[in-house]
Amino acid sequence: MRKYFSREKFGYMFGILGKPIDSFYEIRYRDQGSVPLAVICVFVLSALFTVNRVFAGFVVNEINPRTIDGITEMGAFFLLLGLFCVGNWAVTCLMEGEGRMRDIVTVAGYAMLPIMLALGPATILSNVISFEEAAFYHIIIGVSIAWTGVLLLLGIMTVHNYTLLKTIITLVLTFITILILIFIGLLIMDLLNQIYGFLFSIYTELVFRF
Amino acid sequence: MKLRQSISILIIVIVIATMVPLFALADDSVPYDTYVYDYWEYIVFTPAPYVPGETISGIALGIGALNDPQGIYIAHDNAVYITDTGNNRIVILEPDLHTVRDVITTFENEGKTDSFDRPRGVAVTTDNIIYVADTENRRVVALDGNEAIKTVSNPQSEMLGDDFDFVPLKVTVDFAGRVFVIARNMFQGIMTFNSDGEFIGFYGTINVNITLWQRFWRALSTQEQRARQQLFIPTEFTGLDVDPAGFVYASNIDRDGEQAVRRLNPNGEDVLRKGINDNVGGDLLTWPASPSPFSGPSNIIDVTYRGDGMYSLLDSRRGRIFTYDYEGNLLYIFGGMGQQAGTFRQPTAIAAQENRVLALDAIRNEIITFEQTLYGELINKAVSLRYSGDEAKAVETWREVLKLNENFELANAGIGKAYLTAGNNSTAMYYLRLGMDRENYSIAFRRWRNDLLKDNIGWILSVAVGGIFGYVIIRTVIRRRRKHIEIDDGGGAFDA
Repeated sequence: MRKYFSREKFGYMFGILGKPIDSFYEIRYRDQGSVPLAVICVFVLSALFTVNRVFAGFVVNEINPRTIDGITEMGAFFLLLGLFCVGNWAVTCLMEGEGRMRDIVTVAGYAMLPIMLALGPATILSNVISFEEAAFYHIIIGVSIAWTGVLLLLGIMTVHNYTLLKTIITLVLTFITILILIFIGLLIMDLLNQIYGFLFSIYTELVFRF
Repeated sequence: MKLRQSISILIIVIVIATMVPLFALADDSVPYDTYVYDYWEYIVFTPAPYVPGETISGIALGIGALNDPQGIYIAHDNAVYITDTGNNRIVILEPDLHTVRDVITTFENEGKTDSFDRPRGVAVTTDNIIYVADTENRRVVALDGNEAIKTVSNPQSEMLGDDFDFVPLKVTVDFAGRVFVIARNMFQGIMTFNSDGEFIGFYGTINVNITLWQRFWRALSTQEQRARQQLFIPTEFTGLDVDPAGFVYASNIDRDGEQAVRRLNPNGEDVLRKGINDNVGGDLLTWPASPSPFSGPSNIIDVTYRGDGMYSLLDSRRGRIFTYDYEGNLLYIFGGMGQQAGTFRQPTAIAAQENRVLALDAIRNEIITFEQTLYGELINKAVSLRYSGDEAKAVETWREVLKLNENFELANAGIGKAYLTAGNNSTAMYYLRLGMDRENYSIAFRRWRNDLLKDNIGWILSVAVGGIFGYVIIRTVIRRRRKHIEIDDGGGAFDA
């Protein structure tokens, strides 16, 4: 357990908020990252996301409560970040990236920290503001999302030891890879379905015959 | 033995008592669905605002069956004017709908006897001049009694072109004698004529909306392809009515199902408000158009002004009648297609008497009436009270509405607004939240919050100041003590 949750590792997780490049460097080259911590980050974020959708103040909450489903939202978060990690790993492997899979996962998870930290206070704030003050709420959410984007960019750049331009190119390629992954995934699902249907029809044929 | 008997009787009584409400629920005798859409555009079923009244046929009136009736108009004295299109006549009924006042088949036109040819639209002014859109004769006739006082035919204008064929379908007239005519294949808008019958110009043109995507494909396609494509032409108007202030309500068929009615000011600009759902196009929950008669956006073919800013739309696709208030909020929906009494087979026109809605059916060849229920009456009353600015009285009516339909958002919002005006912020918040009225809720909430802060600012500030002072004092004490220990230590080491 100490291997994953030591005090130093917590320190580096929050350290990315202040000194992102240094912290990500330590995470990559001195093994100060922790995959379980990153997963917990995403877990907490998705939970807070659902909490925000349910409990954000009536004034700013435009979500139809009948469409909220915590499990689906959590699944969507994990699926998206998982796809990102796999896609990025696949691209950077071919483009001389130095990051290992666990570094990418750590970066992706840790980068969610600003949104994670902003969502809770923003949800509380949204319950005590009126229409005119709603801008504060939107600014908090907007800034945290932008910060997360910057952290993701810097993290990927640092762990792969890339230049900024190369990072952006790999991120674009990652996006394309994600689309390909989704396409292949759907294809496999369809194929499996057909195989299942084929086997099932053989089974029924046999059952009816004997 | 006696105990057992009484227990069994008790059980039977309880069982029957619990079944009674079930019977009451099953006794919903309206042959159509009555519902509204809530803020989230879900269907919410409501009590029936209008129930089927009578079906009145021409045979029952003693004038022979109607044939393909297309237009209905309620005059200021509540008399009902119907264009019996297939029989080339105008039927005038007394307000009770059971006695015939007059049937116009022929009239005097410049000394000669003249008649109609498939007249489709009719309107009546306050001094009983009847305007008839005499469709196949290609003219609009104004009748005073049995005499044509003027006819509008073959209007001449640079705007119209030489080969323009004037085929009037619907007609209405405002208090100043301006005549509004919907003509067939006239996409530029409603044609207006002054009281002398001269063509003034077009009115209320519907603009065509071409999406970026459509424009992109048009740019890519060749000349031949373009010629074969669907034309981007504005939809035609389908029905007309005019309110006492001279605003014209004109319905049209909107393929997007967003805005099927326009409220046109004297300049011909649309000043309609679209309500909380940003939609006045009939049904919100529709499926893409398919051969099935029950899918696709509502096909609004007529509009009638109901007074106090309310208006009703008639949908020929699903036979529904939609009623909106002056803000464009949906009040109630009733009506449907079918074979039973009170349902339509091919609705063509709608009009409203004081507490009755009348519609024409061109296949049944009947007038179908809908009678107001308590629920419908209360909503109409509340809306008219709000329209005239009497919010306090409106609240009492909204409360009555809520007793019949707890889920009616407009009623909750109405009550909330009244509480907000009265300064009862926390109750206002409760009702405005149920009514999904964010802006007013925000006002109520801010006032409530600021009041709360004002009342408690004393102890909040004292606790805050006290806390800061306490923190500073404790910190100083701890530091001093720490320093003291350090000095002590130093001293001890020095001593040793």
